[in-house]
Amino acid sequence: MSFLSISNVSKIFGGVVAVEDFNLEIEKGEFVSFLGPSGCGKTTTLRMVAGFELPTSGEVVLDGENITYKSPNQRNVGMVFQSYALFPNMTVAQNIGFGLQVRKTPAEEIRKTVDEMLGLIHLEKHAEKYPFQLSGGQQQRVALARALAINPRVLLLDEPLSALDAKIRVELRQEIRRIQQTMGITTIYVTHDQEEALSLSDRIVVMSQGHMEQVGTPSEIYNHPTTEFVASFVGQLNLLPVTEVNVQNGTCKLNGQLVRFDHSEQSEQRQISAKPRLAIRPEEFQFGQAEARNVVLGRVEVVMFLGAVVRLRVRIGEALVSVDLFNERTMILPRVGDDVTVNFPAHACWIM
Amino acid sequence: MRRNTFWSWFWIFLGTLYFLLPLISTFLFSLRAKKDVLSFLSYERIFTDVNFTRTLGFSLVVAVFTILVSILLVVPTAYWIRLRLPQLRAMIEFMTMLPFVIPAIVLVFGLIRVFSGAPFFLTNTYAGTNALLVAAYAVLTLPYMFRSVDAGLGAIDVRSLTEAAQSLGANWATILFRVIFPNLRVAILSGAFLTLATVIGEFTIASFLVGIKAFGPYLSLTGQNKTYEASSLTIISFLLTWAFMGLIQLFNRGKSDSALAGAH
Repeated sequence: MSFLSISNVSKIFGGVVAVEDFNLEIEKGEFVSFLGPSGCGKTTTLRMVAGFELPTSGEVVLDGENITYKSPNQRNVGMVFQSYALFPNMTVAQNIGFGLQVRKTPAEEIRKTVDEMLGLIHLEKHAEKYPFQLSGGQQQRVALARALAINPRVLLLDEPLSALDAKIRVELRQEIRRIQQTMGITTIYVTHDQEEALSLSDRIVVMSQGHMEQVGTPSEIYNHPTTEFVASFVGQLNLLPVTEVNVQNGTCKLNGQLVRFDHSEQSEQRQISAKPRLAIRPEEFQFGQAEARNVVLGRVEVVMFLGAVVRLRVRIGEALVSVDLFNERTMILPRVGDDVTVNFPAHACWIM
Repeated sequence: MRRNTFWSWFWIFLGTLYFLLPLISTFLFSLRAKKDVLSFLSYERIFTDVNFTRTLGFSLVVAVFTILVSILLVVPTAYWIRLRLPQLRAMIEFMTMLPFVIPAIVLVFGLIRVFSGAPFFLTNTYAGTNALLVAAYAVLTLPYMFRSVDAGLGAIDVRSLTEAAQSLGANWATILFRVIFPNLRVAILSGAFLTLATVIGEFTIASFLVGIKAFGPYLSLTGQNKTYEASSLTIISFLLTWAFMGLIQLFNRGKSDSALAGAH
């Protein structure tokens, strides 16, 4: 049996289904992200683990104990909020020590734990400051330390970086991962940011409209999406209309040209729709002729230089596809209106 | 630019005159108790009047009890509405405004009618009447306390703070007394101050329930019978109000200073 088990959990708010039949087993020490657009049910699921919402059906079992109907203050689950939720009337040290004080831990032990936590988040010098005297990033680190100080069985983070600016976000997410690995704490992380989910997680649960779309490691989710939603929500995806699809041979016609695709996973996992489309990521394209690769012709319509990457929009038949090229110093950029030859490998594309 | 400055000062001067002139005139008048001489005689008379200290003391005690009852009633209610029953907020807000709409005389007659017969015989005893007075004032000052507290709650993220405290193991009492109350300190204080000012000067309910025992009826009686003492009482009331305001300011600042200082 896994450490945290969420079984057949559903939540209905006044007739609206927020989460439907959610099933997940999480191992001890694992870092799992719930990823999806707003309103997909990821936060509701997290709140049911925290105890702030009661499931309409299903159960949550933590470390062998059924906690489905336990009140939040008896679950020993740490929670970090998007809005930090630090107590404005308490100093950093008092905030971190609050959970221990509530548990009537001896003062000396509280002091020791608070010092340890302050060391962990590198805010030793700010122990006596009030939350309003700290930056957003510092406040969220304090919130993290406060959640960890009670030595929770599970750490829950609800979009903890959404209110911060981009640079701090990247720094703090590395810090969260470092602390999580140091403490070996089982963690659920809710986010709508695919980069956060991909870079932090052991496993990702992609959710849409209350459903689990796919569960897998970041590389599985990105490289082997099982639904169109996952494929287009995580990373960018080009979908080109094709005809004469032959799943057994792995061939189809794109704009009249024969194209090969990866058909190894086709039969087991993916259903081909009535209007089949060839799915391919922008970074799989290259320019020029190449042997043993699919080659098609197109016309450049947009060129965007983004630094490390050059993003182009190329018209191939009726479809306008995104093409990402890694920038090189000596690269000569195509111009808008140029006719180009584009190639891509068969193993990088599949039919949806 | 220069013109603008001149007119700004002109209006400030006019405004100041508007507020200060009546006060200065009242003060000067209060000094004329002795014929042809300026003296503090009327003040001496007030301060040596047993009724002054007795009624003021009584009203202060009633005010303190009213504030306590009001805080214990309003803070948890307003908190719970923000947290769990936001759909009731409009209705509760309307209810708290009722004391502005219903005249005090209607309120006090209603109270006497209900609480002087079976099954409540509150007006039969002093303690019962005093309790009724506190209850009546808690209702009368509901708009001030509720509005202050509700505004204070609006300024903090009640839901997240509550959930954060809950996830850290806190029960409802801990959340209320260690998280919510301390963060509403300023809001509660301003509500308490308005309650105090209202209770001290209130006439209608006090005169029907406890009569001359309270400060309001004493003020009124003095105003009717003793001209100079009435003026000095006005000045004293003003000074009292300012003193309370000053105390609250001092308390607020002192508290945050000591909190910061205590942090080192």
